[in-house]
Amino acid sequence: MNRRFETPRAAYVHVPFCRHHCGYCNFTVIARRDDLVDRYLQALAIELASLARPREVESLYLGGGTPSHLSPAQLCELLGRLREWFVPAGSFEFTLEANPVDMLPDRLGVMREFGINRISLGIQSFLPDKLAALERDHRQPEILRALEHVRGHVGNVSIDLIFGVPGETEDCWRRDLETLIAVRPQHVSIYGLTIERGSRFFGRVRKNQLKRLDDETERAMYLTAIDTLASAGYEHYEVSNFALPGFRSRHNEAYWTGRTYEAFGPGASRFVAGRRETNHRSVVTYLRRVMAGESPVAESEQLEPEDAARERLVFALRRIEGIDKQEFLAETGFRVHDLGGPALERFVAWGLLEDTPQTLRLTRDGLVVSDALWPEFLRQ
Amino acid sequence: MPSVDSSLIRNFCIIAHVDHGKSTLADRLLEHTGAVSQREMKAQFLDDMELERARGITIKARAVVLYHERNGNLYELNLIDTPGHVDFHYEVSRSLACCEGAMLLVDACQGVEAQTVANALAAMEHELAIVPVLNKIDLIQARIDDVTQEIEHTLALEAEQVLRVSAKTGVGVPALLDALIDRIPPPQGDPDAPLQAMVFDAHYDDYRGAVTYVRIMNGTVRKGQKIRLLRGATTYEVLELGQFAPHRRACQELTVGQVGYLICNIKSLENVHIGDTVSVPGDQAAPPLPGYKPPQRMVYCGLYPSDGQEFSVLRDALTKLSINDPSFEFTPESSEALGFGFRCGFLGLLHMEIIQQRLEQESDVDLVQTAPNVTYEILTKKGEMLHIHRPQEVPDSGDIEEFRQPVVRVNLLQPTEYIGGVMTLCQDRRGIQVRTEYLSPTRAMLVYDLPLAEVIYDLHDKLKSVTRGYGTMNYELIGYEPADLVRLDILVNGKRVDALSFICHRIDADRRGRAVVKKLKGEIERHMFEIAVQAAIGARIIARETVPAMRKNVTAKCYGGDITRKRKLWAKQREGKKRMKSIGSVDIPQKAFLAVLDTGEGNK
Ligand SMILES: Nc1nc2c(ncn2[C@@H]2O[C@H](COP(=O)(O)OP(=O)(O)OP(=O)(O)O)[C@@H](O)[C@H]2O)c(=O)[nH]1
Ligand code: SF4
Ligand SMILES: [Mg+2]
Repeated sequence: MNRRFETPRAAYVHVPFCRHHCGYCNFTVIARRDDLVDRYLQALAIELASLARPREVESLYLGGGTPSHLSPAQLCELLGRLREWFVPAGSFEFTLEANPVDMLPDRLGVMREFGINRISLGIQSFLPDKLAALERDHRQPEILRALEHVRGHVGNVSIDLIFGVPGETEDCWRRDLETLIAVRPQHVSIYGLTIERGSRFFGRVRKNQLKRLDDETERAMYLTAIDTLASAGYEHYEVSNFALPGFRSRHNEAYWTGRTYEAFGPGASRFVAGRRETNHRSVVTYLRRVMAGESPVAESEQLEPEDAARERLVFALRRIEGIDKQEFLAETGFRVHDLGGPALERFVAWGLLEDTPQTLRLTRDGLVVSDALWPEFLRQ
Repeated sequence: MPSVDSSLIRNFCIIAHVDHGKSTLADRLLEHTGAVSQREMKAQFLDDMELERARGITIKARAVVLYHERNGNLYELNLIDTPGHVDFHYEVSRSLACCEGAMLLVDACQGVEAQTVANALAAMEHELAIVPVLNKIDLIQARIDDVTQEIEHTLALEAEQVLRVSAKTGVGVPALLDALIDRIPPPQGDPDAPLQAMVFDAHYDDYRGAVTYVRIMNGTVRKGQKIRLLRGATTYEVLELGQFAPHRRACQELTVGQVGYLICNIKSLENVHIGDTVSVPGDQAAPPLPGYKPPQRMVYCGLYPSDGQEFSVLRDALTKLSINDPSFEFTPESSEALGFGFRCGFLGLLHMEIIQQRLEQESDVDLVQTAPNVTYEILTKKGEMLHIHRPQEVPDSGDIEEFRQPVVRVNLLQPTEYIGGVMTLCQDRRGIQVRTEYLSPTRAMLVYDLPLAEVIYDLHDKLKSVTRGYGTMNYELIGYEPADLVRLDILVNGKRVDALSFICHRIDADRRGRAVVKKLKGEIERHMFEIAVQAAIGARIIARETVPAMRKNVTAKCYGGDITRKRKLWAKQREGKKRMKSIGSVDIPQKAFLAVLDTGEGNK
């Protein structure tokens, strides 16, 4: 009954290589070190071998970095290895994150051959100025060509867009959304640009060389996206995710609903047997450790049942349909209202949460300020 | 230990304005007399408290014994290095009572400054022999003749008597030692009379208990003997006694005129009162010495544990500190906004800052400090006299017959070219000019009576900026005077926050009120609702700002690897919020409680 202890039916593989390290990015990324790819593939093979026997999975997700940055031969090796360890089950979802400029027929052929059935394209914008500000090397013609190629090979496409880029106006954003809807991918992820510690932009913001947009504009952009996509037939199902009916990301749903998942590669995080673990974020350290037969895990934490339940409460509330209270109690052993306490009542009274006998969910007002709610639901 | 007869003892302290080189000169004396070897020597050797070294100033007076041979006689010189900062003037006055002489140091570049005058006058009041010394003569900017003239002019000390040294190079130190021996009288007193010693300081040693610093006025104290502390009438056995050379060095006895320490298995410093008299038990006891005037607290502020649970931890920490520093006092108080805490009295703002820093370093309690204020007096319509240590205590204006504030006489010394600027500064603060004195053709002293509140907040900083760093000031409380004062309240979402109330002159109320609500607006983070921040006198709102509601706060990405990171981040924010003070549903960060210090002068 308790999801925290079920055998994982999802797996994530982190491919850290990128052509260029974008200024806003603080992921586990390594640029211009393609010489490390072969060692990475060896290390990954060793790490995968720790599974001991092949696993049935309903979802396999290759994220990055830029998995599509690998050469066709390297991709072949990587995907081949994964298919040895993971056996598709149910309506298997096999996603690969890709850069538009990499979407050439040779690579796509390899992808299709190994069963990739969903491509997540890091397009970010269709506008040249915005792309330049984000330090991305593709422009609209490359994007359109990429989409054409992808659709020839893989039917299910997701597109990432970013809003709130320094210099961007609400009008720019509306144009981006219009183009997006015209292209009509099955799935869309919308991200407000966050400039976190560890990215180059962070330093530039601190030195006042880069100016974040004000809250009011970002709020307007976010709400515009929600409304525009809804009227184009997309379901808003998580803070930043939208899908045409039947095309939600099953892999990500596993994260948000407290399911277990395996993970491999530098910086990758897994949730297995009630334990959260993260591999070392430095690619070089990861390689050294795995090659030396050591564990690549840098951080790990066994979650107490209550902490697991609280975490689940927060991440499940980020899903727009909210929490089924009965189901939550059955699966975690905790009542939503006991965990939320007076803070929850307050948020309901303020109109940030909507509480019905069956469900608890964010209202539209709650959604836009939701990060301010979560601290109240967690404990240290 | 050489046996000393009191005609070979000289007791003196080094007094000066801040940074004129007292501690550095003490280094040279320690070196020259061999008290500290070259190898052990480090700059400002006697400033051994961590805070003193970090700030480069002396905070606590330090006594040390030096031996110097001259013409076949071995002299015992007891030197006390004192702090120069105005806040620690109390340390100086305690030291003066243990000495027959004072070395008055004057920086040859800076000249006579405010503390030079204040300390010299205090030494004269104690009838000490004053040895004036010009320091830093190695510097090319030294104005030897001018400054000698300033000394003569201001302090009526003869120019021929002024010695010249460099504490940096050691030039003039031998002649200085001669002058100290020749000009300072040996201590008086009867070695055979009953023991009478002045407790001028104490500190706590984790292994030995209280270490009591004494100056023997009459009689002799020996190891193993019984002594009595007259004030508490408590009797102890002397387990160890000795001198600071400069580290503790035990000996068998201390006799009349000598300065040293006693260790008597006193378990707590609470049993040692600075200014107390040490004598013998029984009816042979000597009469008590006059002791010290209690130090005058100039500034008060509230200190609250940000976590209410830590009240008793804070109390213990304050007790411990106040024992080592009797010039600081505290009493429990409570505030609607901040819960239980303490009202603490300090000698000045630097003292306040130092105590707070020590509390944080030594006890790990997270503190909320309220804005410093002075003590007011209110005569009520009923004829009662109230002493107001905190603004919340001010009664309704209808009940007030007279509102009085402390007034200080301030001496401001600066080059004559800045007189105009300094006068404007004082007039803006409602100062009343008392007189102007010219120390020399280029330096003048302005004397003003000013409200203490105006002086402590920022007068020193402002003086420094108006005079390009050349102005110095010193002040002394002269009494209370009626003034047109009001209490300003701050309301957050309509609720009065008692800890944010403050007292100011009616004429300044609008400006201060506007400045404070503006500052608070910047300190309070956006909430999920709009927050009104208002300033009011009684029921009349005089200023308002609005903290708009949060408009967007949502993390876009939350995938597998983000979950742990985000959970920890949010949990930490919750801890951070716990440390803020909640007024209604509004979280007010700790430093907002200092917002009332914003005078709004920039927007005058
Ligand atoms: N050039 C030069 N610098 C000196 C001399 N004496 C002291 N100084 C410098 O002046 C500064 C202040 O010296 P201190 O000895 O700390 O002054 P102080 O009077 O003890 O200061 P407080 O105890 O804080 O009042 C230090 O930077 C010393 O190095 C001197 O004779 N010549
Ligand atoms: S944003 Fe994407 S492409 Fe750019 S560095 Fe990060 S992972 Fe690589
Ligand atoms: Mg000093």
